[in-house]
Amino acid sequence: MELLAALENSAFGAWVRESPSPWAYPGVLFLHTVGLSFLVGLSVAIDLRLLGAARRLPVPPLARFYPVMWMGFGLNALSGVALFAANATTRATNPAFYFKMGFVTLAMIALLMIRRSVVRQSTLGAGLGTLSDRVLAVASLVCWTGVITSGRLMAYFGQG
Amino acid sequence: MLTAFAYWIRATPLGWAAAGGVVWLGPACLTLHFIGLVLLVGCVFAFDLRLLGVAKGLPVAPLGSLMPWAVLGFLINLTTGLTLLAGNPFQYIDNPAFWLKMLFVVLAGVNVIIYYSTGLARRAAAVASGQDAPFSAKTFAAMSLFLWIGVIYWGRMLLFIGNFF
Repeated sequence: MELLAALENSAFGAWVRESPSPWAYPGVLFLHTVGLSFLVGLSVAIDLRLLGAARRLPVPPLARFYPVMWMGFGLNALSGVALFAANATTRATNPAFYFKMGFVTLAMIALLMIRRSVVRQSTLGAGLGTLSDRVLAVASLVCWTGVITSGRLMAYFGQG
Repeated sequence: MLTAFAYWIRATPLGWAAAGGVVWLGPACLTLHFIGLVLLVGCVFAFDLRLLGVAKGLPVAPLGSLMPWAVLGFLINLTTGLTLLAGNPFQYIDNPAFWLKMLFVVLAGVNVIIYYSTGLARRAAAVASGQDAPFSAKTFAAMSLFLWIGVIYWGRMLLFIGNFF
């Protein structure tokens, strides 16, 4: 708890929270949403393909979207740390925050599994994914929904 | 007229419900607004990135088959956005960030209309696996990325500009 208070009261935490600069809290929150769009957006597009949307679309070239998704993840890890630092004590006591982190971990595991076993090794030129592809895709969609929902709920539990 | 509309929509059952009459409706709409966003920009960005040369192995025409999902995301956001507006209309219509967001949504729509009406969509659909998209299609894709990221920016700025609670 002292560590969290120190983080919150650090020059960086205070800057993110209190600076009138548009690059402080508003800018960081904007970047967090941009990262979400690229990471979760492309992941969801791949999930939809595995579940049978755009069936004529070959699966292997989708692998090239992963570097973009890593950038989205990196952006959100950094902006997430900044948002956490700004209100460390309240976020660390917010149950929704832990749900969000749990769902992020599961969603990233699903993302990696889809990349390894589905996108990279797939010979799927067209058609529906195998049953295990589809199970992974559904798990990914469920986890991202959990991330977004618990992220939103953070605003209603504790002080944000 | 805008003021009259704001008073009218706030007085509808939807306005009553969104203003707190149905306690969970506001938070549910905000959550769904993000889910709609992810569907919309996920499919749109995948398409834009392909036109710009990322994942060139993807043929363009079948990637277009993801667009009904983008439209679904847009409809989710239109519905949830209107519900949120109904609950606190003045919070939006008195906020310049709201109008800039709407401007960017309209411009993104105009960009799509230009794409289809000038035959650009037909030319892009002929781009096969491994082929480069025409420069005009890349311009459309870059505009699309810029405008949707702009929509996200102004949406976020709603909280920090004007009279948002």
